[in-house]
Amino acid sequence: MFENLASIFSILMQGIGYTLTVFAVTIVLSIPLGLLLTFASRSRIAPLRWITRAYVFVIRGTPLMLQLFFVYFGLPFLPVVGPYLKLGRLAAANIAFVLNYAAYFCEIFRGGLLSIDPGQYEAAKVLGFGRFRTMIQIILPQMIKVALPSVANETITLVKDTALVSVIGLSDLMELSKKLVNSMVDVTPYIIAAGIYLVLIFALTKLFEKLEKKAAY
Amino acid sequence: MIQTIGLQKSFGDNHVLRGVDLHIERGQIVAIIGPSGSGKSTFLRSLIGLERIDGGTIRIEGEALAEDGRYPKERVCRQVCRGMGMVFQHFNLFPHMSVRGNLTAAPLAAKKLTKDEADAKCADLLARVGLSDKIDAMPSSLSGGQKQRVAIARALMMDPDILLFDEPTSALDPELTGEVLAVMKDLTGTGITMVIVTHEMAFAREVADRVIFMDGGVVAVDGRPEEVFDDPKNERLKAFLRAL
Repeated sequence: MFENLASIFSILMQGIGYTLTVFAVTIVLSIPLGLLLTFASRSRIAPLRWITRAYVFVIRGTPLMLQLFFVYFGLPFLPVVGPYLKLGRLAAANIAFVLNYAAYFCEIFRGGLLSIDPGQYEAAKVLGFGRFRTMIQIILPQMIKVALPSVANETITLVKDTALVSVIGLSDLMELSKKLVNSMVDVTPYIIAAGIYLVLIFALTKLFEKLEKKAAY
Repeated sequence: MIQTIGLQKSFGDNHVLRGVDLHIERGQIVAIIGPSGSGKSTFLRSLIGLERIDGGTIRIEGEALAEDGRYPKERVCRQVCRGMGMVFQHFNLFPHMSVRGNLTAAPLAAKKLTKDEADAKCADLLARVGLSDKIDAMPSSLSGGQKQRVAIARALMMDPDILLFDEPTSALDPELTGEVLAVMKDLTGTGITMVIVTHEMAFAREVADRVIFMDGGVVAVDGRPEEVFDDPKNERLKAFLRAL
């Protein structure tokens, strides 16, 4: 019995690499990209604002699964550039996830900026801060505090969303547990997979609690 | 020296400034009074570039902040306004920084002072506003009066020649206005030009060299405090003072 559990666990752990890779790549890249999109959405250059709005609309308005299919299966069919866009499964998954999550983070940060008292910009201005310094020293630290609970929520959602990469054939935690359940005709692999997701999310929850304490003032 | 000629400003259909002409000499203490909606805050904010005027000219120490309603590049505006500070009705302290951080951030960012110089100056100014013990406090732990005194010290860190006050005691509980007014009175002998939008008539009478009554977007009365308060000629001013 326990031998059986141990072997299920060790097989599932082979899939966790993909789960964690997609998770880590997405967090590390989509947060800065989301921040850039936020700045673009508030730019003085109108076309930049329109493009950002359109981007966020398209990404939030279509399923992540469709976006995954589009990047992995769809891009190679594009005329002219298609042949150069044959991506590996992991690369395609990473790209689709980063592009998707950047749009959500953009909206979270934009909401955070909207919550900041205009008086903060005015105080910075009369004290001689330039636009860049005002952003870095005055606005962003306050925005992060406001945005952190939403960022935590989105990060936790991301852990579970990584299960979607199985649809383009990556053998992640989800895909391996499904295969094991099918071959063993036993539900145990699902329960163990659920336990692994819960452990990951528990750790993230604790991490964000710490971060929120740190960002409080 | 502050000079404004024919300032015009509208917010949509609301024509707030309708030709404000004013000349404020260096070192003068000027109180601006008037009913709400008379344009006094808008006028004050336009002097430091927080409101963009639609027409007219603003010169600070002879340099144009706006000439016939046209503004130079942002960099030039910042340069023109460098000798001015401002104190706001709602303090606008930076909530994520300690009192020390609030005071030293601007001079350090501008590389005006070294870290040691900024710390020393911060300690001096906090002593002057009576808040030496709050140097490491966060703004959220301060009372309104304390916040406003920190805000005044913060403005002084940049050595302004001109200090603008936009209703500095209007957001305070009545028992806390005294401590802020005392700090402001303490500044009047220092040579700093002060322009104060206020509802504190007793304070205006006591410390101001000159009182401006704004009404309907123009300067309606401009005189010494005793002329304005004891012997008002203007009917609107009479009504305004009676209503207080």
